Parts: sequence; structure tokens; C-alpha cells
Amino acid sequence: MDDDIADAIVGWCMVPLCLLGLLIAARAHDSEMYLFGFSLAGFTALFGFGLIKRHYDQKDQARARVKAGDHV
Amino acid sequence: MSDHVLSTAAPDYNEEVVRKFIIAGMFWGVIAFALGTYLALELTWPAFNLGFSFTNFGRLRPVHTSAAIFAFGGSILFGTALHVVQRTCRARLWGGPALANFIFWGYQFFIVMAALSYVMGFSKGREYAEPEWHIDLWLTLVWVLMTVVYVGTLLRRAEPHIYVANWFYLAFLITVAMLHIVNNLTLPVSFFGAKSYSLFSGVQDAMVQWWYGHNAVGFFLTAGFLGMMYYFIPKAAGRPVYSYRLSIVHFWALIFLYIWAGPHHLHYTALPDWTQTLGMAFSIMLWMPSWGGMINGLMTLSGAWDKLRTDPGLRFSVTAVGFYGMATFEGPVMSVREVNSLSHYTDWGIGHVHSGALGWVAFISFGAMYYLIPVLWKRERMWSVKLISWHYWIATLGIVFYISSMWVAGIMQGLMWRAYDSFGFLQYSFIESVVAVHPYYIIRMVGGLCFLAGSVMMAFNMFMTIRGPQPAHQNTGRGFGQRLAVAGE
Repeated sequence: MDDDIADAIVGWCMVPLCLLGLLIAARAHDSEMYLFGFSLAGFTALFGFGLIKRHYDQKDQARARVKAGDHV
Repeated sequence: MSDHVLSTAAPDYNEEVVRKFIIAGMFWGVIAFALGTYLALELTWPAFNLGFSFTNFGRLRPVHTSAAIFAFGGSILFGTALHVVQRTCRARLWGGPALANFIFWGYQFFIVMAALSYVMGFSKGREYAEPEWHIDLWLTLVWVLMTVVYVGTLLRRAEPHIYVANWFYLAFLITVAMLHIVNNLTLPVSFFGAKSYSLFSGVQDAMVQWWYGHNAVGFFLTAGFLGMMYYFIPKAAGRPVYSYRLSIVHFWALIFLYIWAGPHHLHYTALPDWTQTLGMAFSIMLWMPSWGGMINGLMTLSGAWDKLRTDPGLRFSVTAVGFYGMATFEGPVMSVREVNSLSHYTDWGIGHVHSGALGWVAFISFGAMYYLIPVLWKRERMWSVKLISWHYWIATLGIVFYISSMWVAGIMQGLMWRAYDSFGFLQYSFIESVVAVHPYYIIRMVGGLCFLAGSVMMAFNMFMTIRGPQPAHQNTGRGFGQRLAVAGE
């Protein structure tokens, strides 16, 4: 499987998980579920942003390599 | 095979995720050992419970066990498994870097959530499976993805043969998934509430719990770490596995026998006698495959014993195999009903568990890590070899303090609880047995402190190694320590 497609699938999976976290936090019956819901939402959002950052970092690096003329 | 390996370029291995797991393993190791020492302090002087609910022994104890098993052991197992499967299959991880990253961060998320829930007072009350249902579901997701990545990598391998270490790692991944799912079949009170109730009840519930509990020992703490042994000891010693045939025979024997041994935790309970006897008989039969692994690990050193003088990392691995042999001898002895009548509920059990956890699990992990850290960060060697030696001796001393004190305390407790006077009355009250073991609790705490000190030395050594300069001649993308392929590569 192409790494880019796999990374995109993983990234998109974070969206429903994040929403699920928010739903759990909003309807939580106890402090544990409240904490878990918010943590899940925060974790998946951060993970998604991390994926986006990594993607553009790699693009920047590739562009820099092209500029430096060390591409093959 | 060596020529074949050398003649082809290595794939672009995903080492980033392995590095993260190794760092996480080190971090959680220090936390687990520190918590264990603090709990030993609480048991010795209960005032150290401090009067807070979240520092209470009952809440901190599962944090310690989960940190040791899942956080420390699990991180090292996942990290080394992902390293070994790539190297022995000459294939990059299946699923791409984002999936591998998700497995790492998802697993760390599970650990943090589980620890927080324990200190907040939420627990299912099942041994080594305390997290409530929602955290269990999250772990299931991460675990299944890890298994998929592992199997996917095996399927895309460039080597025709699946090296034996992979068999053990695979058994660990598949069986623990099965155990985790069945043991945690619960009915939540509400989708938005943490509380849940087991699907099983009474003695069936007890049986399921110990089917899980004992096989967590068998497949998490034994099979996975045997996979580690089968890769890292031959690599560090520069020798092939002593008997590849023995490794396969003892693998299948271990897998077949372990799964039946759980009932030995329920002697003299409502569990039917025949089931208890079955568990006991299978536990005794486990001697053979367990020692098959030990003999194979030790004999791999044939012709390379001199390396123990110069490579303290390898010393960890070999000592671990010795402790493995000892713990797997002691376990079946304790599973015999008559012995169990003395040892059960006493600190002998605690000593036995820690001879396995510290002597086998932690030591084999330390050995693998001391080999792997220079390889992963492309360093010549660890920052200080002398510090590894210090770590080895202080940790060994700590284990000796720990297990010998618990043996004495446990056997003394068992004998005091069953002692009758000439009139048929119990000779000792319970509190007298508590007072009697107090000195041994202090010795246990000192042992824990020694072990913790050693792990802090290791963390410092690891930090300095990673921070240190990368040798110019090693900037080839293939780290130091990658000598000629051995052990099935």
C-alpha cells in the first residue's frame, strides 16, 4: 500500500474518533468518562495536526533538496 | 545467507517508531520501579499512604503493575517486535509511518488513561486488567492495528523463512488479543458511564480471570520476551541459535501447554477439583518447554562466553535467561496443590512474580536495549560501558534482596498461619505474622531502591548516548552493531 494513501486513511480516521471523544465528554455521567472523552478528542486532534505538519515538512524538505540540486 | 544479505541493499526501515518505543519503555520503566519502591515503603510504614485517596496502596498498586507490564514491558516488546520483524524479513513496516505512529501514540494514550482512571478510583478489579470498558476498547483497537502491521510486514517479507523470534512475537500479539477480549467482556451500565459489570459470574468469572491472568504471564511476559531473547542474544553474542529445532519444538509445546495452566491460581476454591488438577498437571508439564527455551538461550553462548567479560549488556541477557529458568522451575512447584496450600496468599507469590518480572522481563529488556540503542542512534557504543556494569551489579543485588526477603517472609507467613497449639487453637494471630515480616519488608524496599537506582543509571547512560556525537564513519544509515547476519537473518 502506498504510504501517502495509508497516512491519509489514518488521518481521516481521527475525525470520527475526535467527534466521538467530544460526544462522550458532553454526555458523560462521571468524571472518568468526562476526562476520557476530552482526552480522546485532544489526542486525536493533536495527532491529526501532527500528520498534517509532517506532510508539509516533508514537502518543504523535498523542495529544499531540489533547490540545492541534490535530487536524483 | 550472510553473503545474500550483504549483497543486497537494506530497505528503508522505519526506525523512528522503534526509537520512540525504546525511549518510552525507559521512561515507563523508571516510573514503574519508582512506584514499586514507594509501594514497598507504604507496606513497610503505612503512614506513607499519606491519607489521600489517590496515594492509597489500593489505587497505586494497579498503576505500578500496569506501568511495569503494559507501559515498560509493552513498549519494549512493541519496539523490539517492530525492529525484529523488519530486520529478519528485510521489509519496511506495512501500513506506512502514520499507522506506526498511531500505534505508538495510541498505546501511550492507553497507558496514561489507564493510570489516571486508577488514581481516580475507577477499576474493574480484575488482576492485570483493571481498566474499565472504554479503555479496554481503545487498547483493543491499538492492539489489533499492531497485529495487522506485524502480519502485513511478515507477508511482504523478502526473506523466504520466518525467523523463530517472529513466531514468539506473533504468539504474543494474537494470544494477548484473544485473552484481553474474552476477559474484558463486560456490560457497561451506560455508554456514557465508566462502570461496567463482567459478563461472567461466580466461579466461571474467577476461572476466566485466571485464564487471562496466567496467560498474560505466559504470552505477554514469556512468549514476547522469548522472541526478544531469540533475536538479541544471538546478535549480541555473534553466534547462531544453539538449536533451531529445539526453538520450534519448545515454541509449540509452550503454546499448547500454557493456555491450560490458569486453574492453579484457584486451588482450594469453588472451582471443581478436576479443573484444579488439570491446571496443576499442565503447569508441571510446562517445565519441559520452559527449560527448552532456557537451555537454547544459554547454549547459544557456546564459544562466546568470553564476551560476558567485555559486554555487560550481554551479561544482562544471559542472567535473564538464568532467572527465567529459575522462575519457571519455581512456578510449577508452587502450582502443586500441597505446596500452594503453604504459599498462596503469602509474600512467596510476590517474590516469585518479581524474580520473573525483574530477573527475566526487565533484564532481558535491558540487554536488548543496551544492544539496540547504539544501533538505532548509530553510535559506536553506549556512552559508558562502566555504567552498564554498575547497573548490572546494583540491579542484581536489588533482585537478590527482593526475592530472598520475600521467600523468607512468605514461607514464615504460611507456617505461622497454619500453626496450631496443643489445644487445637491457632498459635498466632494475623497481626503477629504482620509484625514478624516487617524486617523483610524493609529489605524488600532496599532491594527495590537498588533496582530503581540501576534503572536511573541506565536512563542517564541512554540520554548521554543519544545526545553524544555520531561517529563520522557510521553515517551510512546502518548502525554500529550490524555485523554479519546471524540467527536466521
